[in-house]
Amino acid sequence: MAPDGDQSVPGQVRTPRLVAVIDIGATAVRMAIAELGEEGTFHTLETLAQAVSLGKDTFRGGSIDLATTEECVRVLQVYRQKLDEYGFTRPEQTHVVATSAVREARNRLSFLQRIYVATGFNVEPLDEAAVKRVTYLGVSPLLASEPRLAESNSLVVEVGGGSTEVLLVASGDVTFAHTFRLGSLRLRTTLEALHAPRSKVRAIMESQITRIVDQIRKHVPVDRSLVMIALGGDIRLATAELLPTWDGQSVATLSVAALRGFTEKIIVKSVDQILHRFPLAVPDAEALGPALLAYVNLARALQRDDILVSPINLRDGLIREMAAREEWTPNFTHQILRAALDFGRRFGFDESHAQHVAELSRALFRALESEHQLGPRYEVLLSVAALLHDVGHAVNSRNHERHSMYLISNGDLFGLTQNDMMLVALAARYHRYSAPKLSHEGYASLDWKDRANVVKMAAMLRVADALDRTNTQRVKNIQCQREGDRWVISVPGADDLSSEQLAVQQKSVLFHEVFGMSVVIRNAPGVLGHA
Amino acid sequence: MPASASSDLFLNRELSWLEFNQRVLDEATDASLPLLERLQFLAITGSNLDEFFMVRVAGLQMLRQRRSARRDPAGTTPLQQLKAISDRAHQMMLDQYRCLLDQLEPALSAAGIRRAVASQLTEHQQAVVQKIFDSEVFPVYTPMAIRDGAAFPLLINKSLNVCVRLAPAADGEPPRFAIVPFGSSPTRMFRLPADTGYEYILLEDLVGLFIQRFFPGETVLEAVPFRLVRNADLGVREDQAADLLAGMEEILDARKQSDCVRLDVAESCSRPLLAFLKSALEVDNDAVYAARGPLDLSVWSALNSLPGFEELKYEPWSPRASPHVEPTGCLFEMIRRKDILLSLPYERFDTVVRLIEQAAADPNVLAIKIILYRTSRNSAIVAALERASNAGKHVTALVELKARFDEARNIGWAKALEQAGVQVVYGVRGLKTHAKVCVIIRREPHGIQRYVHFSTGNYNEVTAKLYCDVGFLSCDEELGADASSFFNAITGYSVPLQYRKIVAAPFSLRDRLVELIEGEIVRRERGQRAHVMAQVNSLSDPQMIEALYRASAAGVRIDLNVRGICCLRPGVPNQSENIRVVSVLDRYLEHARILYFYHGGAELVFISSADWMLRNLDKRVELLVPVEDPDNRQRLIAILKSYARDNVKGRQLLADGTYHRLRPGKDGRKHRHQEHLHRLAVDAEKMLEQAQTTVFRPHRAAGKEV
Repeated sequence: MAPDGDQSVPGQVRTPRLVAVIDIGATAVRMAIAELGEEGTFHTLETLAQAVSLGKDTFRGGSIDLATTEECVRVLQVYRQKLDEYGFTRPEQTHVVATSAVREARNRLSFLQRIYVATGFNVEPLDEAAVKRVTYLGVSPLLASEPRLAESNSLVVEVGGGSTEVLLVASGDVTFAHTFRLGSLRLRTTLEALHAPRSKVRAIMESQITRIVDQIRKHVPVDRSLVMIALGGDIRLATAELLPTWDGQSVATLSVAALRGFTEKIIVKSVDQILHRFPLAVPDAEALGPALLAYVNLARALQRDDILVSPINLRDGLIREMAAREEWTPNFTHQILRAALDFGRRFGFDESHAQHVAELSRALFRALESEHQLGPRYEVLLSVAALLHDVGHAVNSRNHERHSMYLISNGDLFGLTQNDMMLVALAARYHRYSAPKLSHEGYASLDWKDRANVVKMAAMLRVADALDRTNTQRVKNIQCQREGDRWVISVPGADDLSSEQLAVQQKSVLFHEVFGMSVVIRNAPGVLGHA
Repeated sequence: MPASASSDLFLNRELSWLEFNQRVLDEATDASLPLLERLQFLAITGSNLDEFFMVRVAGLQMLRQRRSARRDPAGTTPLQQLKAISDRAHQMMLDQYRCLLDQLEPALSAAGIRRAVASQLTEHQQAVVQKIFDSEVFPVYTPMAIRDGAAFPLLINKSLNVCVRLAPAADGEPPRFAIVPFGSSPTRMFRLPADTGYEYILLEDLVGLFIQRFFPGETVLEAVPFRLVRNADLGVREDQAADLLAGMEEILDARKQSDCVRLDVAESCSRPLLAFLKSALEVDNDAVYAARGPLDLSVWSALNSLPGFEELKYEPWSPRASPHVEPTGCLFEMIRRKDILLSLPYERFDTVVRLIEQAAADPNVLAIKIILYRTSRNSAIVAALERASNAGKHVTALVELKARFDEARNIGWAKALEQAGVQVVYGVRGLKTHAKVCVIIRREPHGIQRYVHFSTGNYNEVTAKLYCDVGFLSCDEELGADASSFFNAITGYSVPLQYRKIVAAPFSLRDRLVELIEGEIVRRERGQRAHVMAQVNSLSDPQMIEALYRASAAGVRIDLNVRGICCLRPGVPNQSENIRVVSVLDRYLEHARILYFYHGGAELVFISSADWMLRNLDKRVELLVPVEDPDNRQRLIAILKSYARDNVKGRQLLADGTYHRLRPGKDGRKHRHQEHLHRLAVDAEKMLEQAQTTVFRPHRAAGKEV
């Protein structure tokens, strides 16, 4: 997977960019240092891991203990030394994230603050959507490179300490993605907190796992072509034990029967016995049995004889994301827009109008690039807002912009974070009627930058929506240019634009306020625009 | 512990070690060797025995004091072992002095090197001796009278002293004693004027001449040299030591007054004097070693560096340049071209020193990490590490404070390196870090590149000229990543993660070795070819031995080169008839660990820092490193085979635990392993020189090497 990146052209020697990702997980704080190559490739130089019991704290008491926080500080300071060794200087070279154990902790803000004060690391708690996004980014090269996966349905499963990520990928497209509250350490800790009798622990675990497995199965068509791909440290350990010749870097095929046998052996062992047998830290040893049990039960529920085990982990996805900088790959953008379409279809939206407004929005976004100064991911967010701006009709046509906002902000779109979803929801909310006000819920909670970004998107969306006022999709291939304080949109091949002109007049007030230009529509001379 | 502890299966470790020392002594008695080299071997048997008593015998004595009946794998109790050791060591002492007094000294005397007898000095010599005593002895040493109830003075481990018995103050009173201690490193040999050759007098003989001067007005009844060997088997309780450095310093203090485990005394000593020493030092008869000649044989190694007697020494074999290492230029480039295997001491260790020096001076080097287990005085490597740190590089040195008998020196290194800004780690809690590895992280145009050096020998420029070891330089991506992970683990940056190619003790090294042996068994049972070759210093791990027995029983051919302790009994029908064990004792100390497994024709070859002993596989951080490129692999295989074929300096272990010398066969062709490797190194260097003279080598600007 990792090319050595040695494709340097003489005279054009460019040292690869060094990046690091640190993942503050439920059982350990892990770091990977990598060099970025061409076209989103990367090469991992070092991986480090140190045990911390964040998950235990959060899943048992709801918050992180002070001692555990200080342990995290110590580990991160050690990692900081490592980064110094490689000459890391710029903060953007390092991406520090935290998963469910931090996300769910009541005192996460003070935790994050303490980490920042002591180490200078700005930790991003990954929400569920981000974990899904990163997981997808991690596995997508695998899905693309294995021919047997390109054709089939692949269920990507990672049983983590706090939660289980599930992605269903059909012919390369994500058709289902969800985070289930099934975590190996969470299971173990909950049972301990309940003082479940030892003899019952196994049965309670199984019943909890079965409950979640049943939910997963509802979303997964079980047929011959289904391939289950397991990720995660626990399954990697089992694979290394069961397949001694596995190199730990390629995809391995593991028989479910063998995995079941191994799991049976592990599950009856005490944590001390596991520690004696494997070089694991305590929290990892505690999580091993429950995690393996979850994989086995899921594989059996899906009637698989064997599963694929991939060495990919969360950090691979994070590095890949850094390799792509702030841009999403075309494929990833495609997955987001697909998810938005599915969402709209669930609410019976007017798909052709939605698609057309999205297309017009994109045309405006690109033409206005020097005015709005937004990065390429806002084009995707604007497209999603355009696709979904009218979904509120499903509730009621009156005030449908508010219903759209409600539906979107409470929805779950693959690939978008909660913050992204809020921006999309607000852009949709402001596609008509009231301009944003600081008294508005949601808008008020954004920082000033995001507020400005919402307004810019809403202004463009309003004009795009006005251009399809007739709902006939006849305005296309628009050309835009600035003429003094006017923004001129030329529409080729249309004879009567009066209704669009009226609509734009009504709906471009916000545009004028934001960009300082009035919007004018005119017929383009001749037939233009076979782009 | 094996299920069936039995002397049929295992030879006793301590007796096996004593047999090793006997093989060294055999070299001293070998009349075909140069005289001063024989004397050197004799000196080594002396210092070897000191360490053996300080650690092994002391350990057994502590077990005995705790009344432990714990049996060793051969089924003997501590008490039985102590008895057997005492018998064997007393016999060895007789042999040592027979060698010195009856063989070496007469021959040395004939060759012009004479130890003066105090009663036979010439007049001129007497005058010189008087002068030496007045200026260098009398003002320096202070006798200490042991009066009633006064504490016996604290005598330094292994140091020489003279015990003096004085006439009683009045008739009928008990004798009085005094001690003249000579301290830790006195001048032991004083040169005397002589018409020809080199003549010297020993300190204790000189003191004997003038002993009365220390005790004016007293009657000296006798003055007897003695020395004691103390228990050094004391370690820091690491679970209780918050500061290992301070703890280790305390242990070194504690060793100064630990129990006496052996008392050497001149044979001439009287019963009352011996009784006095035994009671003062609390030793029993088994621990008393009465010597027929001068005490502490290790002092004779000083004569080895005597100028002007070259004909009494080996012809010098100077280390040669490796054919893959150019005399000048960037070593990083040479390593990039090809993995480099160094066969020490036949090839120069300065390649490694040069690499670290170049790394220290190279602006593109980001970090250097190294393990220092035993390092020489004035080490150029340590100096280079300090320079690198001062130049702003990240230098990490793991200095093993627990390296036995090098503790004090390593504490000194640790402090000096810390002052230079090096990140110093004092080893791993509960384990000794014995692995020898260095990794250099360098920024290059295509990205980060790691260079690794793995070795079977320490970063020690002195022993690198005396010990046979193998070093391996590579920039292999996976070995580099493994080396980084390994350092992350031992310096506490990370929990140990799975390695790609290397295997480390204590977690998985033994398992991996057993797995490799089992693999040979399986293939043999399927009727395929199977072969194991291994070269280690010592073999005593019961699990390893049992795995080898299983392999032998399955028909796997096993060739072992074990220089020192070997608890495996070879050649026993249905147990080990396919196992052959050879030990080579020659001018260099065999120290490399090289392993070979036929592996169905894949021929896996490894180098390792680990001996096959319990302590190495359970209590130490050790490495097993594959050597994969065909040339270097073949070289290592050739070394293993050459060792096993040595019919000049090789000895084969027999089932009864004795060794018999291998001799040339009917064809009379001699094969001496170390000479063979030396010739190979000489030939390779010659070929390189010839190749170089046919090509012009222009000087280029720095950084423009092609």
